[in-house]
Amino acid sequence: MATSSLWTDYQADKAYDEMINALGNVRPLCSTLGQHLQSLGVDALKARRSAAEAAILEMGITFTVYSEKGNIDRAWPFDIIPRLIEFQEWKGIEAGLKQRLKALNCFIDDVYNEQAMIKDGLLPADLIHSSSNFRPECVGMHPKFGSWANICGSDLVRDGAGVMYVLEDNLRVPSGVSYMIENRVVTKRVFPELLQNLNVMPVDTYPAQLFEMLVSIAPDGNEHPQIAVLTPGIYNSAYFEHAFLAQRMGAELVEGNDLVVKEDNCVYMRTIKGLEKVDVIYRRIDDLFLDPEVFNKDSTLGVKGLMRAWKAGNVALANAPGAGVADDKVVYAFVPEMIRYYLNEEPLLPNVPTYLCSDPEQQAYVLEHLSELVVKPANESGGYGMLVGPHSNPKEIKKFHKLIRANPRNYIAQPTLALSTCPTLCNDHLEPRHIDLRPFILQGEHSFVTAGGLTRVALREGSLIVNSSQGGGSKDTWIINTEQ
Amino acid sequence: MLSRSAERLYWLARYLERTENTARLISVTMNLIYDLPYGTEVGWHTLLTICNVDAAFNERFKIPSEQNVSRFLLADPKNPSSLLSSLSYARENIRTSRELMPDEAWEQVNKMYLYATNNLDSLSNRRGRVIFLQKIMRGCQRFTGFIAGAMSRNDSYRFISLGRNIERADMTTRMIDFGTVLLAENPNPVMREYENTLWLNVLKSLSASLMYRKQVRQRIKGKEVLHFLLKNPDLPNSVDHCLQEISYSITKLPNSEALITQLNNLEQQMLSTNIAEITPTELHQILDNLQAEFNTLHLKIAETWFLNQLE
Repeated sequence: MATSSLWTDYQADKAYDEMINALGNVRPLCSTLGQHLQSLGVDALKARRSAAEAAILEMGITFTVYSEKGNIDRAWPFDIIPRLIEFQEWKGIEAGLKQRLKALNCFIDDVYNEQAMIKDGLLPADLIHSSSNFRPECVGMHPKFGSWANICGSDLVRDGAGVMYVLEDNLRVPSGVSYMIENRVVTKRVFPELLQNLNVMPVDTYPAQLFEMLVSIAPDGNEHPQIAVLTPGIYNSAYFEHAFLAQRMGAELVEGNDLVVKEDNCVYMRTIKGLEKVDVIYRRIDDLFLDPEVFNKDSTLGVKGLMRAWKAGNVALANAPGAGVADDKVVYAFVPEMIRYYLNEEPLLPNVPTYLCSDPEQQAYVLEHLSELVVKPANESGGYGMLVGPHSNPKEIKKFHKLIRANPRNYIAQPTLALSTCPTLCNDHLEPRHIDLRPFILQGEHSFVTAGGLTRVALREGSLIVNSSQGGGSKDTWIINTEQ
Repeated sequence: MLSRSAERLYWLARYLERTENTARLISVTMNLIYDLPYGTEVGWHTLLTICNVDAAFNERFKIPSEQNVSRFLLADPKNPSSLLSSLSYARENIRTSRELMPDEAWEQVNKMYLYATNNLDSLSNRRGRVIFLQKIMRGCQRFTGFIAGAMSRNDSYRFISLGRNIERADMTTRMIDFGTVLLAENPNPVMREYENTLWLNVLKSLSASLMYRKQVRQRIKGKEVLHFLLKNPDLPNSVDHCLQEISYSITKLPNSEALITQLNNLEQQMLSTNIAEITPTELHQILDNLQAEFNTLHLKIAETWFLNQLE
């Protein structure tokens, strides 16, 4: 292998590499892929990368970046080398993810009703009420099947020892699933021969599963509900995905002013025939913009009266308003406890050890070890407002020292994980780049997990930030069944 | 179908048709120049007049030369009716209607847009322009063909058809106007000598010369061409045919009673207009009136089906 220019200086020894083991050999799972890359050589791979980039432009797979000069549609950054996971390992992860979302839904339902876990002393009460995602307006509600968070995107990372951890659960409006599906479409064009020879699980059943889940949560007695995807509009960074999912489900893609709530507390959309009733809304708008009658009064994205309709049981909203209370990095720390409490099971997937800055003892530890830890705000997403200790300077450390002391509830800290790496085509050879994985979990009447998910890759050397808004890219993820 | 979606599809079709027609217009003007004796002046400013963009042009350029007019009508992002602007509005409308159409429809428009933005430099010379215009016209035809072959005749399709035919009828009147104005304005007797060449090129710009020969069975004459392009019920680009297509779509859409009446009146009025014995100035007036009627029709369509923000 060392003789090939493709792998020149491939240094996989610092972290767990998904393809190359500690001895520098290709892992058995990846042997076919490894041989194929080798036989293609650098030039053929570069040609296929160009073909992939052209396909992405023509298919219009974009995401929107906000900048001072206006919003720009950028081509989706994609690395052609796939990331492989063994089917048996995946089965375990899948079960763990379903278990986790079930427990989280039990928790949300509990928070807005009995608050049994708090009464039993297993959760500090002020933790819930101080959460910026707790919505008092939702108290007393019971969505169908107890499913508040119907769509969840959980971020998984593998540490140096190869153990897969859950890093966070995104329960508000997680995005990325359309890119997971499109990545496979592009890969079919790039490596058709490989996909034919390996037993790779398909990923494009997701829209049908999403549709079925949305049908299952429709108000009772409606077998053919009208389903709509509610988007903030064409300037939203995930608009591509909203349109994509609506198209794949055959659902209507609506904006706030396409909808109206009448005196009968039902939601209608404005069509060429007049008003038509809507039964289920997959909303991609944050809670606070959903209904100017209840939340942000100035919101022009939402629909006046939507909460009234939801509370009257005339429309299902996915995810339910208030579900974000569990999408809080402080609440995250208690998920293993929730699994034991609500499901009476042991967690199948481990949490990353988490220090709560609201606890004086833990805060003291965090402040002393800032240069080793990753500090995250409790309610941010997109990788914003973070401190990565080992990559920071004294000025930043000082800043976070202040921030934490000023608002301890808003911060948690975790040890810096040596995220696993995966070979990535950089210029004209392969280099290890850090990756994570975002599978998508559905829960309505039944649970469903995507086969793999969206592998995000930090394209900058050494970087741990995988978010597409901050220089991250993506890879196709192959769940491979080696047994058949 | 959502009112918003109906509006987007309607505009998508209008902008794409406009893109194709702008390409045809420039193309036919260039062809005409090759056919006329060397040195005959073809007023490039005529194109500006028939597109109603004289004022906007004069703000940005001094001389209506071939270079300037071509650039303004094809590639100027600040001219909202340039080919590039039309194509990018079309792309924006289809990008936001992807849930209503097969993926290939979007990819086709997107591909054409990428081609256009990557090849603007080639527009500076005639050869480059010819290739560019060919590609755009073909791209638009491919889209139309794909839609015809792959889309169910549902409401989405009807709004696409509506937009396309209103724009097409409008453009056909402008093409006729192009010939009329050239003849009326040009003091050079050469232009009148070549009148038939001029009308042949107008027919060609609408891909209608063969159909004319087959149907009219006469050598090309101004009055016959006029009649053919306005009143022939079978030619897809004729005003009458476009009105019939519009009528067909409208009849199948909900709440269309008032529109049907309005449309029938317009068609009767157009068919009963005597175009045999009129001066170019009168003809120009008739064409102007027709364009105004198309706009009234558009406003009624918007009022009937599109998202009404005043509700």
